[in-house]
Order: sequence, then structure tokens, then C-alpha cells
Amino acid sequence: MKFLRQLLDGISIPILAILLGLAVSSIFVVIAGASPIEAYQRLFCEGFGAQGCATFGDLLFTQIETETGAQTVFSPTYGAGGHSLALMLEQATPLILTALSAAVAFQAGMFSIGMDGQFVLGAITATFLGYALPDQVYALAGVVDYDSAPASLLTAMHLIIPTVCIGAAMLVGAIYSWIPGYLKVKLNVNELISTIIFNAIAIQIVGYLVNFPLRSDMNNIARTRRIDDSAWLIPFNRGIFQDIEWFSGARLGIGLILALIAAALVWFYLWRTTAGYEQRMTRGSGLFARFGGIPSGRAALRAMLISGALSGLAGAIAILGVERRVVDGFALSGTGFDGVLVAILAKESVVGILIIAPFFAGLNLGAINLQFGNLPRQLGGIIISFIILFRAMEDFLRLQFTNLWSKRRLILRARAEQDGAAT
Amino acid sequence: MPPALEMRHIRKFFPSSGVLANDDVSIEVQPGEVHAIVGENGAGKTTLMSILYGLQTPDEGEIVVNGAPAQIAHPNDAIRLGIGMVHQHFKLVPSFTIAENIMLGIEPNRAGFIDNQREADAVRQLADDFGLPVDPALRVRDIPVGMQQRVEILKILQRRAQILILDEPTAVLTPQEVSELLAVTRKLAQTGHTILLITHKLIEVKSIADRVTIMRRGRNVGTFNAADLSVREMANLMVGRTVTLRIEKTPAVPGEVILKVDDLLVAGAGGIPAVFGAHFDLRAGEILGIAGVSGNGQTELIEALVGMRAIDSGKVMFLGHDVTHDTVRQRRETGLAHIPEDRMTMGLNLRTNLDENVVVTSYQDEPFSRRGIFDFSSVRTLAQKIIDAFQVRSARVGEPIKTLSGGNLQKVVLGRELKGDPKLIIANQPTRGLDVGSIEFVHQTLVAERDKGAAVLLVSVELDEILALSDRIAVMFEGRIFAILDAKDATEEKLGLLMVGSALDAPDHAAEKTHP
Repeated sequence: MKFLRQLLDGISIPILAILLGLAVSSIFVVIAGASPIEAYQRLFCEGFGAQGCATFGDLLFTQIETETGAQTVFSPTYGAGGHSLALMLEQATPLILTALSAAVAFQAGMFSIGMDGQFVLGAITATFLGYALPDQVYALAGVVDYDSAPASLLTAMHLIIPTVCIGAAMLVGAIYSWIPGYLKVKLNVNELISTIIFNAIAIQIVGYLVNFPLRSDMNNIARTRRIDDSAWLIPFNRGIFQDIEWFSGARLGIGLILALIAAALVWFYLWRTTAGYEQRMTRGSGLFARFGGIPSGRAALRAMLISGALSGLAGAIAILGVERRVVDGFALSGTGFDGVLVAILAKESVVGILIIAPFFAGLNLGAINLQFGNLPRQLGGIIISFIILFRAMEDFLRLQFTNLWSKRRLILRARAEQDGAAT
Repeated sequence: MPPALEMRHIRKFFPSSGVLANDDVSIEVQPGEVHAIVGENGAGKTTLMSILYGLQTPDEGEIVVNGAPAQIAHPNDAIRLGIGMVHQHFKLVPSFTIAENIMLGIEPNRAGFIDNQREADAVRQLADDFGLPVDPALRVRDIPVGMQQRVEILKILQRRAQILILDEPTAVLTPQEVSELLAVTRKLAQTGHTILLITHKLIEVKSIADRVTIMRRGRNVGTFNAADLSVREMANLMVGRTVTLRIEKTPAVPGEVILKVDDLLVAGAGGIPAVFGAHFDLRAGEILGIAGVSGNGQTELIEALVGMRAIDSGKVMFLGHDVTHDTVRQRRETGLAHIPEDRMTMGLNLRTNLDENVVVTSYQDEPFSRRGIFDFSSVRTLAQKIIDAFQVRSARVGEPIKTLSGGNLQKVVLGRELKGDPKLIIANQPTRGLDVGSIEFVHQTLVAERDKGAAVLLVSVELDEILALSDRIAVMFEGRIFAILDAKDATEEKLGLLMVGSALDAPDHAAEKTHP
């Protein structure tokens, strides 16, 4: 009962914020000359619907033609021709990780928004090792490439190469996050500003690497080599679930499982370990932490290391599971910053992130597809921005809620409690 | 003649914290009276005054000034109606002169340029009219606190205030300054001003107020003639039960030296030395009180002793160990307990729950955690033990603590700090802002710890508290331990003089230990 009340309390404001965000954004849809209902149907169908979804109702139940005639099916599991939900989860995977990354930093009182920089550096590290390491292994083993290597070697490589790539990407992300953390703790350099600058530096570095040393061919858009097949985190639709149509078209795979494991570990770290306690107390009240003898600087630096490793992991998974190479402009994808927004929307809660990141990814996905209609994809950005704005107005919304429904009851309750305490 | 001020059926509810700060409060103040409003912290007196001064809007109720209904939505409205407020924390510009502060925003000008001469003349005239002498040319940063308060009062008189709200006006003053302020208040009332005095010092109420309104838990308990109530009766009405004001205490039986402080030099904010050569011993089973006007290095001394502030030179010996450069944790492990000045931001983390607050000093130890992973059932047991042993009303294991009253918060701090029988208890203003009932509890607890053999260092700016609890009294002035007296020899007057730096006829041996 108490859990239910907490849950209701936790989700009522985000849901209200989403509805208000959609309502206000509809003004822009009208300005763009479209019907908001139609636009939103399209947005949600493309983000969350099955094939053929056209109305809000289709999000839940779809009419399909079968040999025996028309039939109603439950949409989220109706996978013929691939499902948007699978695509949504593919897009949500790195977002979950960068949001966790932001949440860990925020929960230590470090307002680091360096996720973009750590993400792209992690990605380029995983890419480079993803083709360079197998090259070395093949040379040592005396074979030409993946196709000519013996099966036993390939089995070992499929386990070890991605692990090494991911580990290296996490290490690079962690170091790149530790530097602004150190500057903050030792020299009191504002971490918000330094991480913004570090993002710009990382994006330029990756741009340079992709255009020059790591450029693989004279393709119009500069790009690196593709990672070797042995480094590839094979998506479900090529591997274990290749017969399930629901997954087809989505490069969703082991990365999602890693992200969920990371989420569980982050939750455990924050709420069940003394190290997590140290960083949360440091954030909640610096004076209190100093008073209690908590090594605040160390706790903040540890948070920055974990945060950077998570963003690096996000970059590695984006490459090893989805992109398989870095193309010029990848660094501008904004996955890191979207993670910051998700973390804020979710109030830095791990469970909240697991709910909001997929929603966010679905909206983005729907918005991309809107541009194939007559609406600009920027609409997705507008909607998300308004939702965040309304989310930030939590206190105000709560107040209006209370005024609307139960101010009088709350007053009576407060009075009863004060009387109770008096006796 | 209509009442100078009436507030009728005021109600104010804060939805975010769920506090009903004022519940159908009505007061009526006659012109020319000194009307005290007393109550525990959280009783709603500050909220009521904020409403009167236009800082808060009431949910319900009306305000009538001189018989006419008034809408007060902003302090400017209040000023227009002749209501002025002297805040507990002064709102003066330190780098401006007294005249510039008083005339701020209403400067006499000539063609757009400030006319300094007329400004100074106007202030001199004002000061003469009210018999509150000030030198208009002095800068506010150079004058003592009592004088700053006088400037604040003049500032609102210049704006023709007839109703003056004084919010805890004596909290920051020395005893001499307090008696001056009380005389000024009397004089203003005689010249037809109406004074609303917010305070929790009942002795002052008794000596100055004509009538007193007592508030408890957001309600008006009653308005009385101050002469008709004794201090004890006022205290009982404030708390809602009978309280004892005297502390029963046997003579101290000092044991071995627990803390030895030698020639301590500690830098304050901005690197300027805040403690110069402090020097004293503290023995088991005694309470050493440190008296002094706030801001004379007490905070820095305490922070240095508990390990929160670096010690530049000198030595601190604790139970025979040199702990001068030890961390907070090392000192706590040696047997230090610290009851900090500010329980809201330092002593507790109001953003989290009870459990995480009680474990901050021991979260690394078994059984509360093993190999870095919490055992929350042990933590909950600890929290429940503290609730039971210290009767923390309305606190519950695992629940947030931000809604607890000041007294209950302080009980949480005491419970956490005093578990495990500390050898040394450093208490900085342990009863600041607490109501009478909680003060009684804190005092009894400290004396009980002393009797169990702990050494207690008590810093307070309240002389009553120092005199009531201490076995020996050190006076701190401008970063020095100016004198150490036996409590038997100390009187309020003697301490008051020492606190402002005037040596007694027979200077104490510990006084004036200077540092290069």
C-alpha cells in the first residue's frame, strides 16, 4: 500500500508533465499547418507502434488480415515486419547508460555534463581496438581474416575481444571524467564549465581521428574501418532470436542486457554500499559530510570515475552493438546530453531512468519519422523540451494539485498531527 | 482610539512541507504598547510577522491597521502603512556610512546628485529627535553590532514607522547592549510607537513588555498582561506542560586531563587568523564553558578542535595523543563527540532519512556495514534505540527527518553523538533556537554526561546557559582566551565586561597570551 502510494506520487508529476508538454507543443504543430492529433498519432506509432499502426488505439490493439479473416491482436507483441519497440530499445540502450552516468555524478553533487565527450572517446577507443586487435591476433595465428580463422580461435575471440574493447572504452571514459573531477576537488574549478569544454575537446579529437589517422577510405563522408566480426556484439535478430520477427530491423542485442546489469549495479552502489552513502551525503550536505568525517573529495572523485566509465561503456556498446564504425558527425549525436536530460527527468533515480530513457528514445524515433511526413523532426525536440520544463515546475504543479483537490484535507491532517504531537 | 494593529483569523499553510504555520491566529495591539510575541521555534511567530510585513501572503484572514482594513502584499505596502521591521540578521551595506544606510533609496538630492550634507544633517536631526545618538559619517563595517541595530531602528523611523517589529533583537547583543536596547524600546513606546517584540527570552519579556501573546504550534494560546504572568507560567504556556528552569547539579569532580590545548593559531575565512594562541586544559568530569560575543573565534576554535579546520600552529592533546593534525574520523575514534552549532546543515542531513543520519559517524564500522556493504537492519536497530533512549517524538525509523521540530532534531544529534560513551563532548550552542522544554532536556543530558565522567566543552553566547552549566568559564575575545574563571566567581556583569575585552581589576593568569 505504502509502495503503491509512493509509486503514484513518483509518477503523477512526470505524467502530468508529459501531457502538458504535448498540449503546449501542439501550438507549434498548428503553426506548422498540421493537426496535432494526427501528428501525435504518427509520432507515437512510429516510436512505439507495430507495423501498420495509424491511430492511438492501434498502439494497444491492431486489426490484421489473416487467411481466416480480420483479427484483433495485442499490438506490443505483434511483430510482423519488425516492431518500433525493438528499435526504441536499441536507441534506449546507450541512453540508459549515459543517464546512469549523469545520475551517479549528480548524486555526488558534481554537476558534470561531460557524458558526450566520454561517450565519443569510448566509442572511438572501442572502434580502433575493434579492428586493430583482431588484426594482430590473425597475424599471430597466421590466418588472413575472420573467415579463414579456425572455429576454436573465433570462439575465444568472440569472448575476449569485445571484453577488451569495452574495458578500454570504460577506462578512457573514466580517465576523461576524472580530470574535471580532480580540477573541481583540488582547485575548485567549476565542473559544469570544465566538462562542457572537455566535451568540445573530445568531439574535435574524434573529428580529427576520423578524418585523418583512422580514415579508412575516400568515402564522401569520412569514416573509420568497420570493426572485425569477432568484436561485434551480434544483435538478437542475427543471433539467438533470428526467427522472431519482432526483432527484425533492430540492432538490439547484448548491449541492452549489459545496460540493465549496469543499472542494477549502480542502484546497489548508490543505495546499499558505504561508498554510495559517502557520495550521496557529500551531495546532500557538504557540511554534514565534513562533520561526520566523510572523505568528500574522494567520494566525489570516485563518482566521477564511475560516471565516466558508464559513458565510455555507452560509447562502446553504440559501436560494438550498433554502428560498428565511427562516421564523421557521430560525435554530434548528442547521446551524452540526452542522457543528462533523462537523468534530470528521472530525478536521478535508477528505476526512473529505466522508464524514461525508452520513452525518450521512442519520442526521438517518432520525431525522426515525422520528417518523412510534412512535419519537421525538430518537433520531437520541442516536445521533449516542454516536458522537461514542466517537470522542472514540479513544486508549482504539486501546489496546483493540492489546491485543486485536497488542500482542506491536508490542513486538517496537519492540524491533527500537530495536536497529536502536543499530547 | 482603535487598536494600532489587528490581525484577524490569519491562516497560513505551506503545502510543500505540510506545515500549518498559522492556524486561525488573531492578535490585537494597542498604540504605544510593547507587545511581545513568544513561542517555541516553529510556533509560527516568524510566519505571522512575515505576513504582517508583506513577505508572505496569508491563505485566510485580514489585517487592520489603525482601524482601516489593509492589503499588505509587499514590504513597500507595510512601510507605507507605517510598519517597519528590524530583522534578526541586519540588512545594512557594510561599506556605506551610517547616513548612507539610513537614507538608502530616499537620498536627498540636488539635480540628481546626492546631497551628502543634507543627508548627514537629516540623520543627525533624526537621531536627536529619538535620542538615539549616532555619528552619521562612520561606516557600518566599523561599528559594533549594537550600534548597527540602532542604525536599523533609525532607518525604519526615518520611513515614519509607527509600528516596529523587532525580530529576536537581543540574540546578537552583549548584556550591556541588551539593556541599552531595552531602554530605547521603552523610550520609543513612550513617544507613541507601537513595538512588536518577537523573542524567546522570557526574562526580557517580563522586564519590558506591556502585554504578551503566547503562540504554540501555529495557534495563539492567549494574550496576557506581562505583569500577570511569571516567567515560569509563560514557559509552561509556551511548551504546554510544566518545565523546570533550574538545573540540579552537584559540584564537579574533575579527573585526569582529557584535552590540552596549547598556543593554538587557526586561520578563519580569508586566511586571517581567527584564533590566536588559545590555551586551556579540560578535565574529565567537568564542564568548561566558553563565553563570548559570537564571532570572536569560537566557531573556528571548535572546528579546529574537531578536525574540520586546519590548525596552523600550536598543539592539541587528546587523552595523551597528539591529535593536532588528525582527521575528523581519527578524533571521533579516539572518543570525541561533537554537537555542532548548526544542526540543520552540519549536524544533520535534512534531505535524507533518520537511519542515514544516525549512522554518519559509524557507517564504516561493524555491524552497520561489512566490506563496504550496509547491513540496514543493524542501522535500523540503532535508529530505534536512539528514538527510545532520547524520546524523539514523531520520529520513525526509515522516515525523513525534515519535518521534525528543532528540539527533536537536536535529540537525534545528541543520541547519535552520545552513544558509545564519548570521553570528550564539544557542544557549540547546543540549545540555540530550541524551546524551553528542549533546552531543559539538553542541559540535563550534558550534566548527566559530565557526571558519567566525560569532559564537556560548551560554547555559548547565552550567558544564562554558561552560568547555569559550567564548572569553569573561559571568555573568548578577538580570538584569545581572555580569562578563565571559576564558575563560583563569575557573574553576568563580570563576564559581560570580559566579553567586550575590558580586563577585570585583577587580571587572570591565562589572559593575554599573544602570538607573533
